[in-house]
Amino acid sequence: MSLAKSLKFKFMKDYGAPALLTFQNFKKRKPRPIPEAFGPPLKANQRLKEILTRHYFLSRYVPGVKKVAWVTSGAPVELLRAFDFYTIYPENHSALVGAKKQGADYCGIAESDGFSQDLCSYARIDLGHMLSGKTPAGKLPKPDLLFCSNNICQTVLYWYKAIAHELDIPLIHFDAPFVTTQQTEADVRYMAQQLQDMIPVLERISGKIFYLDDLEVILKRSMESSQTWGTILKEMQAKPAPMTIFDAFGHLAPIVSLRGLPVAEDYYHILLEEVQDRVARGIGAITEERYRLIWDNIAIWYKVRYLATFFAERKMNFVSATYTNAWAETTGYLDVKDPWNSMAKTYGQIILNNNLKHRLDLMKSMINDYGVHGMVMHSTRSCKPYSVGQFDLRKALNTELDLPAVILDADIADERVWSEQQIQTRLEAFCETLEDQVSAT
Amino acid sequence: MMNIPNRKEYLQQQSQSGQQIMGVLPALYPREMLWAFDILPAEIWDPPGDILHANAHLQATICPVVKRSLEFILKEPDIINAGYLFPHTCDSLQNLATQVKDLIGVPVPVYSFYNPKGEFNRTTRQYYTDILGDFQTILEQQHGSLDRKKLSTACKLGHKIDSRRLELQNARMTDRLPLSNSEYFQLIRAGEYLQPEDYLKLLDAISIPDEPIPNDKARIMVSGILPPHPDMLEYFDDLHLSLVADDLLAGSRRIPRIKLDPPQDPMEYLTERFFLLPPCSTKAGSLDERFRYLNKRIGNSQAQGVLFNIVKFCEPELFDHHLMVKALKDTGIPVLSMDTELQGGLSGQDKTRIEALGELLRDRMVS
Ligand code: SF4
Ligand code: SF4
Repeated sequence: MSLAKSLKFKFMKDYGAPALLTFQNFKKRKPRPIPEAFGPPLKANQRLKEILTRHYFLSRYVPGVKKVAWVTSGAPVELLRAFDFYTIYPENHSALVGAKKQGADYCGIAESDGFSQDLCSYARIDLGHMLSGKTPAGKLPKPDLLFCSNNICQTVLYWYKAIAHELDIPLIHFDAPFVTTQQTEADVRYMAQQLQDMIPVLERISGKIFYLDDLEVILKRSMESSQTWGTILKEMQAKPAPMTIFDAFGHLAPIVSLRGLPVAEDYYHILLEEVQDRVARGIGAITEERYRLIWDNIAIWYKVRYLATFFAERKMNFVSATYTNAWAETTGYLDVKDPWNSMAKTYGQIILNNNLKHRLDLMKSMINDYGVHGMVMHSTRSCKPYSVGQFDLRKALNTELDLPAVILDADIADERVWSEQQIQTRLEAFCETLEDQVSAT
Repeated sequence: MMNIPNRKEYLQQQSQSGQQIMGVLPALYPREMLWAFDILPAEIWDPPGDILHANAHLQATICPVVKRSLEFILKEPDIINAGYLFPHTCDSLQNLATQVKDLIGVPVPVYSFYNPKGEFNRTTRQYYTDILGDFQTILEQQHGSLDRKKLSTACKLGHKIDSRRLELQNARMTDRLPLSNSEYFQLIRAGEYLQPEDYLKLLDAISIPDEPIPNDKARIMVSGILPPHPDMLEYFDDLHLSLVADDLLAGSRRIPRIKLDPPQDPMEYLTERFFLLPPCSTKAGSLDERFRYLNKRIGNSQAQGVLFNIVKFCEPELFDHHLMVKALKDTGIPVLSMDTELQGGLSGQDKTRIEALGELLRDRMVS
């Protein structure tokens, strides 16, 4: 670790980042007018923006000060935190590119290099970034380590292998057996052992010694943040719901990418307080909430605003989503007294690594708990583990709960897959059915 | 001339004679364990016929192996009486397993078998042994206690089949196998549904001459999930192009790289066997190891070019494919990549591309 780099990093942390944020606030353009259909925006939005800007800004000064790890969203990052890695989440970065409607551009770079257009667009965007160095975040540090788990998909393993190969850096993979009926003892033992096997490798790469006490503190923080996030989501059971799921897609970022750090823990307390205040004062995310919806699958990042407005204008609010719930669902298994087994249980049973009966049951309880009238399923071309089975899930929910549902064929971040006319027609038909059904009851 | 029983007729006969048959999806599973329970695994990779009903359950961007398998399952074929087994191969098959079991529902049991992913070590080996034990327990719930002697016999039979397959494979690479492209892959694929004893007889009936048979054909290695469609194989034969080696999931990737010692302890043997299988995209191991392996096979078979037969929308193959093609091109080996939907004839464009590869390889032979 170079002293000069450390001093620079510290300076940027203490003075550079605050100065940047002050400058950004100062030069802030006039905010876009908020359509009438929406309630007042969350104040926490500003804090969220600051946290993320700071994280990406400081990442430029981190090489030579801390080791950098690129991590998948479902990987047990707590272990890396015990070695003080600075973590970057390529999936978040790809979502950011998608939200800026630049996905097709980045995907195109990977495709020109020979990667197939049929691959997940998060992967193609990231490979496009790796091949070109382009990023809307200014500059991303090169990783010293790649850390992935196939508990969200096998795709991430191929994607990270490709990066490891290209950049010639180590890859640690956490193999999470899919839960076909229930997690077995062998599964838990296997995952727990893998985590412990990682310690000497992480010690070598980071140059730091592992202390179990550190991990326990981090796990506690992680648990706390996830639980607070879960409580925030539960607040959306209130009528009217204090935020929309489109807000939650954004506020998810710290729990995904800063999990285990004090900044995430603090942030969710701020958000919770605001959300609870809104509930107490009856402030809704949309001005008139007549219909309540659930979203299935990852967001369509380049159309979040379009979809939010489309539904809000029809007095429809998304109050729940299987996606946002994923970072709160299994935290209950975490146990600081039994870190290895409990991490195996927590990370091995997340929604995408669990069977479709589990997903169906979860959806049913969410629909019930959140007073949901209808469902929008995003069938995304990119993501097989989230999308294969959706047709039958819809059928089951329709049969068992008489729940109207629509499936949108689109993609998470590659805007070329979007067909506005077709989607608009489908959505309008869905809204009509929903309105008729609700008014008939 | 080989006498390979027709898949459908053979399985029907087996079923009529009271045989328990389990439909097995791609690709890696402990077949010896099923044999020991007197279950005949009938593998389902690319059943023929139109896809009519599966489209109501799966998106358009799902690979045809998954779609065709589901189409087959939806027909509820009588011959499958012992259930379905879904080995964990890729994200799509993983979800299909639970979709069939938990949402669609079938009148027979649905099993799954996890294949570890990534680079392997002692922890992985221990886990694999554990899940073999778990799999045994699950099968015992339906089929009664496992007879250890039967498992031992099954492993010995499996060992003989593997050894013979390895010999035939090596013979093919060194021009000592008098079989056309079509015949060779028909022979390989017969192992997907024949009783092990019948399959071994078939393999043993092929004689391997000591000396190479003169071969002036251009030499190609084929890589991917499945061998090319029979029409394409015939076309390769017509053009005097010989598929001398394969790196196929339905082919050599399911036979241990080296001849194992005859089995002593069955569970140890099955574990050892899994870890000696060649690198495969679906196991997601090291890319360098996979590339080294491909290169070695190219060297051993003196293949002049590589055909990548890519199943449309197959993520595991598509990721590796790009990097393999790049590396092969860097070493000057011509590569042809073709997308396959599994069924449907050979298009004019396909023919032109194969011809072009053939010409290129022949030109190189001349120069
Ligand atoms: S979108 Fe799906 S396939 Fe892509 S990285 Fe995320 S979980 Fe994996
Ligand atoms: S062809 Fe590829 S995507 Fe399809 S089932 Fe096989 S491994 Fe999976």
